[in-house]
Amino acid sequence: MTFHKTCLALAITLSLAATAQAADTIKIGVSGPFTGGSSSMGVSMRDGVRLAAQDINAKGGVLGRQIELVERDDEAKNERGVQIAQELINREQVVATLGFINTGVALASTRFYQNAGIPAIANVATGSVVTQQFLPPKYEHNYVFRMSAADNIQAPMIAAEAITKRGFKKVAIMADSTNYGQLGREDMEKALDKLGVKPVAVEKFNIGDVDMTAQLLRAKEAGAEALLTYGIGPELAQLANGMAKLGWKVPLIGSWTLAMANFIDTARANGDGALMPQTFIQNPNTPKRKAFIDAYVKAFKPKNDRIESAVSAAQGYDSVLLLAAAIEQAGDTKGADIRAALENLKKPVEGVIMTYKAPYSTTDHETIDGPGLVYMGEVSKGRVIFAHPEDAQRSVANAGQSAQ
Amino acid sequence: MRVSAGKNMTIFLQLAYSGVALGMIYAVIAFGYQLTYATSETLNFGQGDALMLGGLVGLTLVGMGVSYWLMIPLVCLFGMAQGAVVERVAVRPAIQARSEFGWIMATIALGIIFRNMAENIWGRDALHFPSPVSETPLSVLGANILPMELLVVAGALLIMGAIELFNRTSIYGKAVVATSGDRDAAGLMGINTKLVITFSYALSSLTAAFAGVLVAPLTLTGASMGAVLGLKAFAVAIVGGLNSGLGAIVGGLLLGVIETTTGFYLSTGYKDVPGLILLLLVLTVRPAGLFGKTAIKKV
Repeated sequence: MTFHKTCLALAITLSLAATAQAADTIKIGVSGPFTGGSSSMGVSMRDGVRLAAQDINAKGGVLGRQIELVERDDEAKNERGVQIAQELINREQVVATLGFINTGVALASTRFYQNAGIPAIANVATGSVVTQQFLPPKYEHNYVFRMSAADNIQAPMIAAEAITKRGFKKVAIMADSTNYGQLGREDMEKALDKLGVKPVAVEKFNIGDVDMTAQLLRAKEAGAEALLTYGIGPELAQLANGMAKLGWKVPLIGSWTLAMANFIDTARANGDGALMPQTFIQNPNTPKRKAFIDAYVKAFKPKNDRIESAVSAAQGYDSVLLLAAAIEQAGDTKGADIRAALENLKKPVEGVIMTYKAPYSTTDHETIDGPGLVYMGEVSKGRVIFAHPEDAQRSVANAGQSAQ
Repeated sequence: MRVSAGKNMTIFLQLAYSGVALGMIYAVIAFGYQLTYATSETLNFGQGDALMLGGLVGLTLVGMGVSYWLMIPLVCLFGMAQGAVVERVAVRPAIQARSEFGWIMATIALGIIFRNMAENIWGRDALHFPSPVSETPLSVLGANILPMELLVVAGALLIMGAIELFNRTSIYGKAVVATSGDRDAAGLMGINTKLVITFSYALSSLTAAFAGVLVAPLTLTGASMGAVLGLKAFAVAIVGGLNSGLGAIVGGLLLGVIETTTGFYLSTGYKDVPGLILLLLVLTVRPAGLFGKTAIKKV
């Protein structure tokens, strides 16, 4: 009799355990560089993602289940990104992954998500080809999405600022030797070509290089009136400081990485006046943005209350909101269903960068489709501000508008 | 590029100044490699990380309010301690186990451990090191040079000169030279060769740490600042000869100037190539290094 009772007790416990299993977490992968020269972007993105996940979990989670973030440091190395992609897909069995700051890592990793049929949202990487690797009709579905302003939008903006707005005729391109730098350089050359301008010098530097004398002298001898840059914070700071040493200062106009905290802090006064496209500037000009900035500063206590990479943090935050909305709409966590939902989001999602209304379609996997959603930022006294006052007004308008 | 001869000279001078400052840093690190090779025929492959630790410790001290000049001897003491640790933990066990090349992996591993420790203590980002001298460039013969770059050259020559003087005049220095010449004979003469080897590692890390605080105001101070410098300085040590202090200086200057001039006159994408070609050339034509002595081992 006791044996039967034990069996019954065991059976009830096991079935209870089984139902408890059904209410388990939704695993979302977070892949980014949390160490190294790109880490300020990676850490800001990760913290923005954490903040959004906390907010959603506090309101009950997604489909009644809590979000569980599985974070991995890809160290900005392509091979690490590949390892992490395989681990997240096969061992952790995430339903989707957010992240990818470095274009090279994004290109190397997204292939695995595409093959496994799991959505990957690149929330910071800007290399134009990232979302264009697996387009129909060659591939049936594209599982790679993006939240940031791709280089084929940034490069024309940089060119327009230098050539059209400021009237420079001779410009030099300074790009680093990574996938990001070189693909960005190509986009830059195309954008300049469209305006009928050929750069007077195109120079390269490596990650970790400290002496930029050769590159700067070549640009100077060619008569450059502005430097158009495609690199990351530490090396860009060496460019700014190198110019000061040579006693030759021309405007730095370049990709969004000129807003990185390690550029601003290392170049200090030499970095003031640098211009770059930004999807988000740490300026609480709407209630939602103020709430986000305050919550971020309170939770992660960045130095001087300045978010290290405000763009990465905001894009990270919004990527979770979009993904959660897609999972709710799909009703389950199957990769194909989430993808379909993302491509056809029915309800508007109020994010920090803008209010998203049907941001993706089967042919368009970018939330930022044009320069209308991007603003020029300017480095001033250790912070990034709006370079043009009309941009500040446009950003408020975009908060209430839809993404085309 | 059509420029006048005068302008050409200015450009070359500008490149040369940067190259010389960079080259002297390579020379000091290479000198450090030579110090341990002389007494124990081993090298500390974590030399770049010793430089990095020196730079970061210096940054912390300066951040706490210690003046740059007072900080230097403190960092040198730290460097000596770090070098002794490397020797005790990585090199001595490998030598005692009669492993031919175990010290290579051991010093590399210790370097990686130090780098990870640094990342955890000081964070992953590159930090700014305040310059102890004015940051306005001086104009020498038409080209600009930063006072800090002059300090680097002076400091590098000073430390190498000081160590050479120590070797030649003091009794402890003579013990080091004796051990370098013939370790077994020195041991038989009553010199504690184990202590001498530990001491040479301490000196080697001292020079690396000193190089770290010299180069820090010119570049970015961070956990990964030593990796590339250590590797290039190794090439300089090979080019100059592993047993010649003058060779380290000449090799360092050669590599530094070649890097900056190639970047300008050829293409910035190929900046690193000539240094490596130089290394290959030297290994082919004069494997002992430009100033090295060819050692003939009798079997």
